[in-house]
Amino acid sequence: MSEARIQRVLLVLLLIVCTVWLVVPFGMAILWSLVDPSVPWTADHVLPPALSFYRWIDMWQFSSLQRALVTSYALAPLAAITSLLLAIPTAYALGRIDFPGRELAKLACLLPLVVPAFVTAIFFTALLFQLGVHMYRFPAILFAHAVLALPYSIRIMTVSFEQVRQDHIDAARDLGASSWARFRVAYLPALRPGIFASLLIVFIQSIEEFAVAFIVGSPDIVTIPTLLFSALGQDYVRPNAAVLSLILVVPNVMLMLVLERLLRSANPTLASGKVM
Amino acid sequence: MIGVRVDRLTIRFGAFTAVDDVSFQVAPGEFITLLGPSGCGKTTLLRMLSGFLEPTSGSIHLDDVDVSQVPPEARDTALCFQSYALFPHLTVRQNLEFGLIQKRIPRRERKERVATVASTLDLDTQLTKLPNQLSGGQQQRVSLGRALVMRPGVILFDEPLSNLDAKLRDRVRIEIRRIQRDYGLTAIYVTHDQAEALALSDRILVMNGGRVEQSDTPEALYHRPRSRFVADFIGSANVIVGEVEGPADAGIWRARTPIGLLGFTSERQPPRAVTLCWRPEHVHLGDGDLEGIVIDRSFQGNYTDLTVRSGDVDHRIQVSATPLYEGDRTRFAIEPERVVLLEDEV
Repeated sequence: MSEARIQRVLLVLLLIVCTVWLVVPFGMAILWSLVDPSVPWTADHVLPPALSFYRWIDMWQFSSLQRALVTSYALAPLAAITSLLLAIPTAYALGRIDFPGRELAKLACLLPLVVPAFVTAIFFTALLFQLGVHMYRFPAILFAHAVLALPYSIRIMTVSFEQVRQDHIDAARDLGASSWARFRVAYLPALRPGIFASLLIVFIQSIEEFAVAFIVGSPDIVTIPTLLFSALGQDYVRPNAAVLSLILVVPNVMLMLVLERLLRSANPTLASGKVM
Repeated sequence: MIGVRVDRLTIRFGAFTAVDDVSFQVAPGEFITLLGPSGCGKTTLLRMLSGFLEPTSGSIHLDDVDVSQVPPEARDTALCFQSYALFPHLTVRQNLEFGLIQKRIPRRERKERVATVASTLDLDTQLTKLPNQLSGGQQQRVSLGRALVMRPGVILFDEPLSNLDAKLRDRVRIEIRRIQRDYGLTAIYVTHDQAEALALSDRILVMNGGRVEQSDTPEALYHRPRSRFVADFIGSANVIVGEVEGPADAGIWRARTPIGLLGFTSERQPPRAVTLCWRPEHVHLGDGDLEGIVIDRSFQGNYTDLTVRSGDVDHRIQVSATPLYEGDRTRFAIEPERVVLLEDEV
């Protein structure tokens, strides 16, 4: 088989996998969200017999969807910023200060990811209850989301801090730059892609997080995932769940594309300063 | 234009002494080079001069002001980095202007200074480009320009040519020397490349193991090296150990060596056992008291490099042309004025 042929076969395979992985679930979710309640979509039909926006309108008007959207989209950016701020000192130490056991410390920071998220969430909320901070439900969830996402933000920012070049810092100093000017000219350009990546990943983590939001927040605070849980778990209305999952997923995909653009614009020669 | 005085400068990292009790002075407008193999402490010394490292003991004076504790941002030195260290997201103009903005130089003067430096360095047409759009040589010039525009009292170079290819290196080397003269800059230059050091410097400090081995003009270093290390490091040298037989003439002594009887010059009474050194190009082939067999011959264009075995010692001879080939026997002579007595203990 020629190389071109192998490549074509691989391309077709990739397309099939992508279809199965992305298009089918998405298509199903879209179709389910459009099922008209007057004619149910039963197993003997390949496509729903009747389509309407009834579910969308119904969810929008009569569920806590609006409240959940506000909560989720207030929580996520705040959690992203908080997590970034909490991560920066540790990441600076791991990325720029040479100390014995640094590699081990880096690994230890990733350790929480080994434990299933739900387990961490349960124990973390137990901690919040003991401290009594669960009374302030929104800040408690915010804090939990920021802390639980720390492995990601620390890891990303550590790599970013490692990429700051010492000779840029030295050159800025040698030219008389104050610490703020040094930060702007030597650190910030190298950190920028990492900052965006960290914000986005924590944002998505927070938007999708269920366990903490449910344990600490219910019944007062509703986020999109907890609402989805009640649509799927308690009442099991599949069309409603489809509407919610689309609402959950679409902004994330859009953010992903934005990030992809941002990362691409931060071209590697800019970060390294050398023509390869 | 200011002078530099370094007094008994020492820096230790734990148990390791990187720079060990180094003292020297640089006159205003002088170009000196710190030359030595990697790990000899030359870069560490430069980093102390620029303020990035604090000496363990000793002092650095710029024009009689002790700056040993002054941080780099407040020191009247400018450093040209080996990696250039240009800010990749800033244009050439912004890079050149950066230091002037930090020093709050008024806009009008900033523009003038950048324009002057850009035209000196032939960067006028590159000002709006980003560093990664420039060639290595141009980046090097921007880095030099960024230091020059500050009009520093002392300009420091940390192996600035090591990332350039050989041809470009020669050109930039000439340019650096020209600019240093035109601006009347006091310059301290670090390199491990002896050719660079010989061509650029008013004076060279050869460093070894954290100490200054010898400080002299390039000519003196080449013709009168004080130690085997200096003789070996600068150019190629034949070094041999011998036993002094006695004086021959005024200031000339004779020593018995494994290749035969060698005359050498020394102003004072030499010890009994001596280390002698001569340059391969100072040997006369054809006649003389010494004898050897050619065991290797390599033609280098403007000269031919012979390895000759006399007794059981191999030594090098460089001549402009020779009919000799491997296996040929030859006589040769070395003038006593060309044989240098080294200070190394035998």
